[in-house]
Amino acid sequence: MTTRKIISEWLLEPGTGKAIELLKGQILRIEQVEGGQCADFNCFNLHDYKEFMHCGRTRTVHGFHPTKGTFMWSAPPRERAMLYILEDTFGRNDVLFPRCSAYVYEAAYGFSVHTNCHDIQAEAQREYGLTPDDVHDSFNLFMCTGVDADGHAYMTRQTTKPGDYVDLLALMDVLAVPNVCGADVMKTSNFALKPLKLTVFEATEADLASVPKTPVLASQRTPNDFKNPIIKSDRALRRDPDYKPEFPNTPIVLTELPITLTAEEIAMFNAVKLTDIYGDDDAAALRDILFSWWEERFLQAHAGAPAIEA
Amino acid sequence: MKETVVKLRLNQQQLELMDRTIAQGVAPDRAALVRLALREYAANRKAETARSSR
Repeated sequence: MTTRKIISEWLLEPGTGKAIELLKGQILRIEQVEGGQCADFNCFNLHDYKEFMHCGRTRTVHGFHPTKGTFMWSAPPRERAMLYILEDTFGRNDVLFPRCSAYVYEAAYGFSVHTNCHDIQAEAQREYGLTPDDVHDSFNLFMCTGVDADGHAYMTRQTTKPGDYVDLLALMDVLAVPNVCGADVMKTSNFALKPLKLTVFEATEADLASVPKTPVLASQRTPNDFKNPIIKSDRALRRDPDYKPEFPNTPIVLTELPITLTAEEIAMFNAVKLTDIYGDDDAAALRDILFSWWEERFLQAHAGAPAIEA
Repeated sequence: MKETVVKLRLNQQQLELMDRTIAQGVAPDRAALVRLALREYAANRKAETARSSR
């Protein structure tokens, strides 16, 4: 196997983060030094910061704990694979929790100032002219989380060891912003702040060949496709008096489609129709069966998630 | 044999999905597609029930 060429290395001290230009085909390794440390991570398209990593889309595609073999996606309407998780030696990450914030530490713990991922991210990305409003929910590496029976997200301690790492391969030029999670009064990093090591490598041919192809679709729009491609540069919101709505596929028009069912089919229908939801509205119940069947037979991803096989 | 007519109300997007499915050769027309969906959906539920009662 070809050895990767190291491009740069940093040691992230507790309470800090670093904005790194990670070009397409480069790998960012985020590595445990002492073990037991959560890293928060965000990224932006290096050439258009309005395209950014979106935990919501990512969790819909890959679940709550993305790991080796999954992608980090940008927000709609871009919806492109920004990064590929090439390796993950621990195998437990999180996209349930937002970044921790100053408000959390003040409201819950009474700190007037406390290390927190939002402010660390904001300070790191300030090097590139971004503001605290530009911080987005983070991909939380090495963070052990779940959902309890009441539907609340919870976090627990982690068992990472020195040398555990996650390798993120850039599929486009990005500004990558990892930081040492500021939570030392939570279980996230086992109640201590420790450094993390960052290494940027040039990906090898084998690395690049291991990335599954994702589809390139017309629905992945760029500012060239926007009705309004101009980034708003002031803060107040004012109505555009010339605005004329142009919502796609409107108006929605209903068409009646009569379906003749035999006695045998009516018996089947009566056995499976959801009367608790649709009551005596057989048309709605049959429509439900039609599209539920379609999902069962043709859908290649979880409901609500896009298929990512090219 | 007694037949029953159920009048589905579908919008243009739902009809488009049906028509694309029909174009794949799954069924000859919209009504046939709905009846196929009903038969297969009912068969799947029956199979699930049988599996869960084992």
